Amino acid sequence: MADDKCTSCPAFNRKSLKKLGINLDNTDFVVALAGNPNTGKSTVFNSLTGLRQHTGNWPGKTVARAEGAFSLNEKKYKIVDLPGTYSLLSASTDEEIARNFILFGQPDVTIVVVDATRLERNLNLTIQILEITDKAILCVNLMDEARRNKIDIDSRSLSRELGIPVILASARQGEGIPELLQSVEDVVTGRFLCNPFRLKNISSELNYAVEKLEKMLIAEFPGMPNARWVALRLLEGDQQIIDSIKNGEISSVIKQQIIPEPKVEN
Amino acid sequence: MNESMQALIIGLSALVAMFLLIWPKGGILGLFKRITRDKKRELIEDSLKYIYNCEYNKNCLCVDELKNNLSISSDKVKNLLHSLEETDLIKTENSKYSLTSEGRSYALRIIRIHRLLERHFADQTSYKDTEWHDKAENAEHSVSFEEANRLAAKMGNPIFDPHGDPIPNEKGQIPLIEGKSLKDISAGIIVKIIHIEDEPTNIYSQLVALGISPGMQITITEKSDKRIKFIANNDECVIAPAFAENITVAELNETEQDYTGFSLLADLKPGYLATVRSISKACRGQQRRRLLDFGIVPGTKIYSDLESLGGDPAAYIVRGTKVALRKKQAREIYISDIEKEDLNG
Amino acid sequence: MDIKNSKENILNTAEKLRWEVGEDFHDNVMETIYTDAARIADIVVIKDNKKAFHLDRFIDRLVTSKWTGFPIMFLLLALVFWLTVIGANYPSGLLANIFVDFLYPVIRQYAVSFGTPLWITGLLIDGGYLALAWVVSVMLPPMAIFFPMFTILEDFGYLPRVSFNMDSLYRKVGAHGKQALTMSMGFGCNAAGVIAARVIDSPREKLIAIITNNFSLCNGRWPTQILIATIFVGTLVPAEYSGLLSASAVIFVALLGIGLSLLVSLFLSRTMLKGEPSAFSLELPPYRPPKILQTLYTSLVDRTLFVLWRAMVFAFPAGMVIWLVSNINVGNNTVAEIFIDWADPFGLFIGLNGVILLAYIIAIPANEIVIPTILMLTIMVTGIHNVGEGSGVLFELSDVNETANILKAGGWTALTGINLMLFSLMHNPCSTTIYTIYKETKSLKWTLVSTILPIAMGLTVCFFIAQIWRLLE
Ligand SMILES: Nc1nc2c(ncn2[C@@H]2O[C@H](COP(=O)(O)OP(=O)(O)O)[C@@H](O)[C@H]2O)c(=O)[nH]1
Ligand SMILES: [Mg+2]
Repeated sequence: MADDKCTSCPAFNRKSLKKLGINLDNTDFVVALAGNPNTGKSTVFNSLTGLRQHTGNWPGKTVARAEGAFSLNEKKYKIVDLPGTYSLLSASTDEEIARNFILFGQPDVTIVVVDATRLERNLNLTIQILEITDKAILCVNLMDEARRNKIDIDSRSLSRELGIPVILASARQGEGIPELLQSVEDVVTGRFLCNPFRLKNISSELNYAVEKLEKMLIAEFPGMPNARWVALRLLEGDQQIIDSIKNGEISSVIKQQIIPEPKVEN
Repeated sequence: MNESMQALIIGLSALVAMFLLIWPKGGILGLFKRITRDKKRELIEDSLKYIYNCEYNKNCLCVDELKNNLSISSDKVKNLLHSLEETDLIKTENSKYSLTSEGRSYALRIIRIHRLLERHFADQTSYKDTEWHDKAENAEHSVSFEEANRLAAKMGNPIFDPHGDPIPNEKGQIPLIEGKSLKDISAGIIVKIIHIEDEPTNIYSQLVALGISPGMQITITEKSDKRIKFIANNDECVIAPAFAENITVAELNETEQDYTGFSLLADLKPGYLATVRSISKACRGQQRRRLLDFGIVPGTKIYSDLESLGGDPAAYIVRGTKVALRKKQAREIYISDIEKEDLNG
Repeated sequence: MDIKNSKENILNTAEKLRWEVGEDFHDNVMETIYTDAARIADIVVIKDNKKAFHLDRFIDRLVTSKWTGFPIMFLLLALVFWLTVIGANYPSGLLANIFVDFLYPVIRQYAVSFGTPLWITGLLIDGGYLALAWVVSVMLPPMAIFFPMFTILEDFGYLPRVSFNMDSLYRKVGAHGKQALTMSMGFGCNAAGVIAARVIDSPREKLIAIITNNFSLCNGRWPTQILIATIFVGTLVPAEYSGLLSASAVIFVALLGIGLSLLVSLFLSRTMLKGEPSAFSLELPPYRPPKILQTLYTSLVDRTLFVLWRAMVFAFPAGMVIWLVSNINVGNNTVAEIFIDWADPFGLFIGLNGVILLAYIIAIPANEIVIPTILMLTIMVTGIHNVGEGSGVLFELSDVNETANILKAGGWTALTGINLMLFSLMHNPCSTTIYTIYKETKSLKWTLVSTILPIAMGLTVCFFIAQIWRLLE
């Protein structure tokens, strides 16, 4: 399916994608799939791995996280289908799984799958993810549905606003999957440097508290890339973050973030 | 014939017996639970809590009120205070009782457990607001401090209980909240409720029945010795000054004041568009978070699109997404700037 | 400053700041995020509000309108059930032909010709294999028809609208509108219905949906209902009305199940689950044209085969147990006979009998094998010789009259029939479902409640009906 659409895109060599199913040995990179429920994450996951996760037009399908693998240009990627969530700020189990994986699981890139017909609502989660991680790709899925409903997305402006690659896709038809793979490669190899959008206008009363903590965090953990997110989580009383500061686990996160070296093979 | 009659009667009585086992008020099982509790410890903890509250509110301890509060005889109160003194939990100076530092930290631990439990009942269960306090009061003696801390961690370490009281942290620190009693506010002023005292229960439940909750802005419209009138949620409420004493409020400066002329989302007819002003504080826990996640925040445009077959729930379009809300939730969302917008034309 | 202290310092500062920023912190953060999201969306989304989602809106008005909403829902669901019932007959017969009539003797012959000891062929082939074959041939076809159709409705986006419409009813009993779907799914298979309860994200309503799912008459129980209604209810009236009466009786039992599930929901939400957290959220996703082939594939793999597999895992050992209890002798009698003798007084007292009680205990893996087990046991205790295949060998008869004769020889009356129909509606879920409930709730307590509650209800109801019946007789 995916293969006959990509003749138009020169960057993609169709022979280079190998779907590896659940063969997870010796992967070089880790890709996380995040997004609201029902945006097509599992469909993207399936088309990359050749697996068949349950998909359905009904929020709440993927409950636990699913893993699979594919290889592209001789590199092996592990891909993790995270449970769909509306947000990463609450205490629900699903959100904890997704949040902790993105923060502590250290994916080399996080693909945020969003619904083109409901972009504004989906940007909520996207913005939260960009507060956590530097390496992300926005996959605007369901473009066929959007067009059918007379909606279009200006992907260049969106990419400029968010500072990450933006791919328009219709995962079910395989449209955009080659471009998505290309971006994945660009980001993990550092060919594309993300400059992610960060929240600008936190209201002034809050900003005082957030900035104060942020400064303290950076002084304590130099180079922490998502100090403001950590500050936000501290102000929300997130026990996991509190513990990870107490036991210093948070600093291991930082080291890996500054040096984006792929995990060595074999 | 006869045998089946007998069997029927025995069967029916067995059903009734089963029923009595759980009803009313937990039935015989509940009674058994109530009997086997550790009364002594409860009395000690309750009295420490009471003394702490007196000190916090800068009242001095009067033995009579302690007696009423714990509903025990005067003799028992004397014994109790005596044993508290013996165990170094309280001390007497010029015949005035006050907490020792051990006593204070014990009291704060119990208060922490109590308020965390209230918070838990408010946010993570579907018990009614009038039940939180009693449930917490019952459970606080059997929940250990560690269990309470784990509960806190799970809830994201809340800092206020649902009545607006700060929750002491693990180390027993607690901030002072400043506020005035509603009794002392004059007419024409807009204030924010920061605390509703949950004891005595009969007053509290009447206040809750008015639909007021901490965080809510109210406007005092009339004040006399006999009654206080104020507007909350667009509704006029009248209470006696004695009741007003149980409500703590903070005055607001102009920028903090909410827009007042709002209506309820529940009253928005299909085909109309409005702007969200706020979500009532009565909407809490997972429910509140869901609404926020859907993008229902102040300033959001919301369009009433459909009613279901029974009329409740109704579907609204928020940020390009169709979400169904029950009337009960729609009554907790305040809106303004209603205009007709025909998307279906 | 040493490291530990500065970390503590951060955490202490955070704690102090939290008291300053107050309770509304989360609200404010969300507001900030959405302000930015709206600004960006404004720049990049190009749409014409009047044209966008025109069709969606039209369909939505159609399916929620007072005049068309209910008929559409009713017709669609009726169509799904009708196709399932009609469509499953033939393939079920075919599978039974292959696995039971053809393969079973062949395998048995083959094993015997190798000189395999009798007890091994008995245990593995007469016991395990036959139960397995039965479960597969009765269970697979209806599920393979029902689930894909359901999944197509789901993929199209219609199911959330059903929840939307039904919520006003379910709200009144303290449940969620989505329970309408888990319940419908339960008519296919309770285990699948329990899994479907995942889409309910409010803990209390999810538990209610899971515990009450067993009151949806699953497709393993329909044949029992129909058979027993034909034999015992249909014959209460003159022949020309018997078809009508027995069909009504079956539908009555199914509707009774729906009524009970609502009643039990109400009871649970007022008592045991009173305090469980409850929140309502329901999104109405846009309609999307379903992709039929993919849907067929995933619904077959994810639902049908998944459930079937779980059932098979339980059926094989159960078949062996059935064979063992009817072949191991203690003294002069088999274990089964001893149990039946012992349980008969109680069984008869509540208008059932010992055979039925034993059958429900050993046929716990699947309701599909209850009737074959009952027949086999009845023959064993009555000593009828010319039918059946021997001790511990499940069988079913194509002739209803013959079945009726066997049952009547076993002492069955109209009361037994009626009570069996009720008991089949109200008894513990099959082991597959029980296991699934445990998997989904991860709680022993709720698994036990879902298991014991219906059986307690069933025994109670049978007891009262038996006494009243005898009083009136
Ligand atoms: N029309 C269309 N439908 C899609 C597309 N991608 C996914 N879907 C459908 O959207 C629904 C949700 O997809 P799923 O992968 O389960 O989403 P998830 O919940 O995010 O994992 C399914 O019915 C898919 O078939 C697409 O590009 N176009
Ligand atoms: Mg999924």
